Amino acid sequence: MESSFPTSPTEGVPGSVADPTESERLHRNLTPAIAELEDPRGFFRYAVATLAALAVALGAVLTFNAIVDPFSLIGWRIVPPAVETDRSIKLDLIGKLTTNPQVVVLGSSRSRQAEPTFIDTLTGLKTGFNAGVTGGDAADAWVMVRNIAARFPRGKRAYIWFVDYKLATEGINPQLAEDPHSRPYLGNRSVSFSLADVGTYLGFQATEASYRVVKACIEGHCHGRVAYNADGSLKGAALKFLPEDAPSLKASVAEKLAAVKHQPRRLPPFTSNQFTYFDDALAFMNAHGATPVIVLNPLYPSVYRFLQKRHSQRDAEALAELHKLQKRYRFAVVDCSNIHVWGGKARDFNNATHVNRRNMRRMLRYIVAHSDGALTR
Amino acid sequence: MLFNSYVFLFGFLPPVLVGCWALRHKNLRLLFLTLASWAFYAWWDWRFLPLMLSTTTVDYIAALMIHRTDVARRRNMWLVGSLAVNLGLLGYFKYAGFFLNSLNGIGKAIGAPVGLPDLHILLPIGISFYTFNSMSYTIDVWRKRVEPTKHILEYTTFVALFPHLIAGPIVRFVDLQPQLRAPRPKLTSEAAGVGAYFFTCGLVKKLLLADQLSPHVDALFANSTHLGFVGSWAAAIGYALQLYFDFSGYSDMAVGLAWLIGFRFPQNFNSPYKAVNVSDFWRRWHMSLSAWFRDYLFIPLGGSRRGPKRTVVNLVVTMFLAGLWHGAAWTFVVWGLVHGLALGVHGVLKNLGLTPKSVLVNRVVTFLYVVAAFVIFRAPNLHVAGTILWRMLGTAGVESWSTLQAFMPGRFVVLLLGLLVFAQFAPNTWELKLRPRLVYGLATGVAAAVAVMSIAVPHPFIYFQF
Repeated sequence: MESSFPTSPTEGVPGSVADPTESERLHRNLTPAIAELEDPRGFFRYAVATLAALAVALGAVLTFNAIVDPFSLIGWRIVPPAVETDRSIKLDLIGKLTTNPQVVVLGSSRSRQAEPTFIDTLTGLKTGFNAGVTGGDAADAWVMVRNIAARFPRGKRAYIWFVDYKLATEGINPQLAEDPHSRPYLGNRSVSFSLADVGTYLGFQATEASYRVVKACIEGHCHGRVAYNADGSLKGAALKFLPEDAPSLKASVAEKLAAVKHQPRRLPPFTSNQFTYFDDALAFMNAHGATPVIVLNPLYPSVYRFLQKRHSQRDAEALAELHKLQKRYRFAVVDCSNIHVWGGKARDFNNATHVNRRNMRRMLRYIVAHSDGALTR
Repeated sequence: MLFNSYVFLFGFLPPVLVGCWALRHKNLRLLFLTLASWAFYAWWDWRFLPLMLSTTTVDYIAALMIHRTDVARRRNMWLVGSLAVNLGLLGYFKYAGFFLNSLNGIGKAIGAPVGLPDLHILLPIGISFYTFNSMSYTIDVWRKRVEPTKHILEYTTFVALFPHLIAGPIVRFVDLQPQLRAPRPKLTSEAAGVGAYFFTCGLVKKLLLADQLSPHVDALFANSTHLGFVGSWAAAIGYALQLYFDFSGYSDMAVGLAWLIGFRFPQNFNSPYKAVNVSDFWRRWHMSLSAWFRDYLFIPLGGSRRGPKRTVVNLVVTMFLAGLWHGAAWTFVVWGLVHGLALGVHGVLKNLGLTPKSVLVNRVVTFLYVVAAFVIFRAPNLHVAGTILWRMLGTAGVESWSTLQAFMPGRFVVLLLGLLVFAQFAPNTWELKLRPRLVYGLATGVAAAVAVMSIAVPHPFIYFQF
């Protein structure tokens, strides 16, 4: 019977022989048909052209992205970045506050529908400030809290902090790190433009973002249309332009469900260092007499139900950290993740994770009622 | 360090190229390449560098000792010692956990729990490749097919050379020895051009083809119970293409890098999906590994010289071990056995003259068989593999339109069909006629730039896990 394996060391290799001599072995490694190998000048041109085209193409991409600076990594601000600049806006607004905000809202974009004036009507407090920012995590909250405290050192404040697993910090937002108001509170933990950012600005994602920014400027709406009131709440006109306002809620929910289903089952666990800003912020608030109210963000009902069935590692880690911290710090936890608990409506979502103003008001009523007096005078 | 990462392309490669060609003296250049390769390896996890150094040292000494004596017993003793160290380390790091888990499972199944500890051993990257490189050297010296080198830098460079260190091709000493003994004095424009061509082809295959298939294939395998006939075939074919473009892309990059530092590596893929039978497939797929198993296992077992039955047994044993080489999991074992049986059956049918005469039929049958077998290779366990294979037979019917839309977006379908046609009919990297014209150089540079732009989140090569 014939062997099904090649019977010689070089069988199956074009141009090979059974027992190759040294030169033949080298020939075997030269198998690709190089038609014009005898023309070294041709190869010189080819090699130089390859290198030049590579360098020019990458150089052009890097220059374009560096000038547009879509993720605000460098901080030119020649054109508005593709990401929202709400960190700087909120820090500027804090600097302009004339009275101490008696209630401060913290969190990500999921918290920015909260209106301080509405909270005041529920709590009897007189002033408030919404310091929630896009993609905000514990480092953002820490900087906001410290800036307000620096502005009104003797003022007493209550805090509503909307959280999800982002109570851990997975890297400080470059905008936050670059803002002069943040630097005193980030110490040596801040970041600046680094070699890794060169990679970011060489990528398709950054190039697409730059293209969008430039296109928007050419079309005449260069500056963002999401504007804020002096108390950090969204201006009414801005509600139509929120990036989280999905054209189709159904599609957004389907997308979120697919993302949850496809996320890896096992992620590297958070380290204790990643909770440092959260710890520091709680300690600071407690030291200044406040008992913050930690609110677990709501989810669209079908997403919530799915996550109840499928263990979410990140949520579990965040909850475990909260339980651990309850022994060390004073804070109240209000779990709003299930909207049925606080009378939320599924139709009043902007997308799978962001409620609109109507739902936010319903939720705030529940939060104030279940905050163990932390928000009332 | 991945070839498809910024740190490699802009941080590691340029200084290595400059250093390599600036050092004209052989010893200095080999020392530089050895140190650079060790740094390349240590970048992943420096704690495993001593492991590679220990096998390098053992095999270097063992080969010299084998060559020094003609006493068969001593030669055998040194060979066995070298193989024991290599296979012992490979066995411990790669298979110990698997075997203990399997024994625990068997004990539990028969009602006699063994209670062996659950080991969590980190697999040193590239161990399967450099161990096989190294073992082939001592075996070849023992067989008197190659003279051992006394020049330790020649040997350390052979084992550690970074283009092949992590995922092959598995290079024999006999292939590299002349190149190590007399390194090229300078980087010629031919070598630079050919190196750039191969490396760019590899980058494009990996970043613009395999990585684009990856999320869709992952989603299909993760939702195997929702798939019907179309989805299960899309998963199987999608993975077969992803694996081919991923691994052949890596091999092309390795070949290109070798050219750029003055070496030539053998071909590792030769249009495997054009194979007309399973035997032909193995002459075209991961050629350096199949040649290794042929020369160091199949032929020593008796090859095809001891009659049809023994040949089939040898094929099955060889492919069982080839499957196990890929990873410590039952899926790889079964995948190897499935190929071993196919090779045996093909041999028998061929001898009886029962194989189809039509090349087209042979190609289609071989492709479908190989694709189905890759389902076992890719699946997280045999249960998922069984589910997908069962559905490929049409047992779950055809999916609803909405399911198809959810799992198979138009972009994926176009890419899948395009690559299927490409893999079946287009010439491979080694067959393409490289014409060193200015316009092709510009096109190569732009293709490389586009590939580099998609690096932002580097995906490891599939074969890195082996």
